[in-house]
Amino acid sequence: MPYDAMSDIADEDLLAAYARGDAQAARALTARLGPRVFAHAMRMLGGDRAEAEDVTQEALLRLWRAAPDWRMGEARVTTWLYRVTANLCIDRMRRRRAGPALDAIPEPEDGAPSVAAAMMARARADALQAALMTLPDRQREAVILRHIEGLSNPEIAEIMDLGVRAVESLTARGKRGLEAALSGRKAELGLEDD
Amino acid sequence: MTDRKDETGLDALFAAARDEAPMPSGDFMMRLQAQALAEMPQAGARAAEPGFFAQLREALGGWKGASGLAAASLVGLWLGISPPAAVSEYWPGASQVSLGEIGLDPASGYDLAWIEG
Repeated sequence: MPYDAMSDIADEDLLAAYARGDAQAARALTARLGPRVFAHAMRMLGGDRAEAEDVTQEALLRLWRAAPDWRMGEARVTTWLYRVTANLCIDRMRRRRAGPALDAIPEPEDGAPSVAAAMMARARADALQAALMTLPDRQREAVILRHIEGLSNPEIAEIMDLGVRAVESLTARGKRGLEAALSGRKAELGLEDD
Repeated sequence: MTDRKDETGLDALFAAARDEAPMPSGDFMMRLQAQALAEMPQAGARAAEPGFFAQLREALGGWKGASGLAAASLVGLWLGISPPAAVSEYWPGASQVSLGEIGLDPASGYDLAWIEG
């Protein structure tokens, strides 16, 4: 079966097929989950592509190895993967902080106030990423999952092993932190003041 | 994706971040796929349960443990059937030395209590 025909099969069913040695399921799962894990790792790590690739490879390797013993109905594959990915990223961030820091945070491109919408979108995404990197790890994780990846609060609570109220509090504090970090750049980014 | 319109412009930044989602390279996706296939269990290759003797051997510490145990048993049996002369020098046997002489009381307190009623 080609993988586009597998698009309506749940991740958990594909993983069970993978554990039975189904190569099409392996390809479909990689195509479906690889980009999501990579994007989350890039956002958590502040845009370091090589590190994000390492984390993606490690997270998926753990998934493949967990596949034969995966218990259907207990955990969603994406929830499990987001948790593993975030933990791998936070470990790396802590190690990075122990050494020389800050070079990894991408600087916003020069010439951001451009008339070209594409350049503005890029500048905004970069500015947001730089601001995200000023937040504590868990706040950054909650804000990314809620406002960029678009997950629900109960799902984030499961990923982060927290209550829903704690997730709401983390995202609220995260957004206040972002506003403070971006307060001097609103005009440059074409944003209206309050 | 946010709950309500954000007045400070963060919504516009989140939207930009979604539009500018970091994409993995094709080369990296190929490596990921190769890794997935390399790690995949082979169809129908789940290992059979080990048999009774294999489990017993493992319980005794594998081949080394089991053969050591067998050798020790044989040596014990041989010593019992035909004790070498050197052993007799240390233990002349019950015919020559009574248990009392080597400090052992042949009747225990329980036996004495039983005899005396």
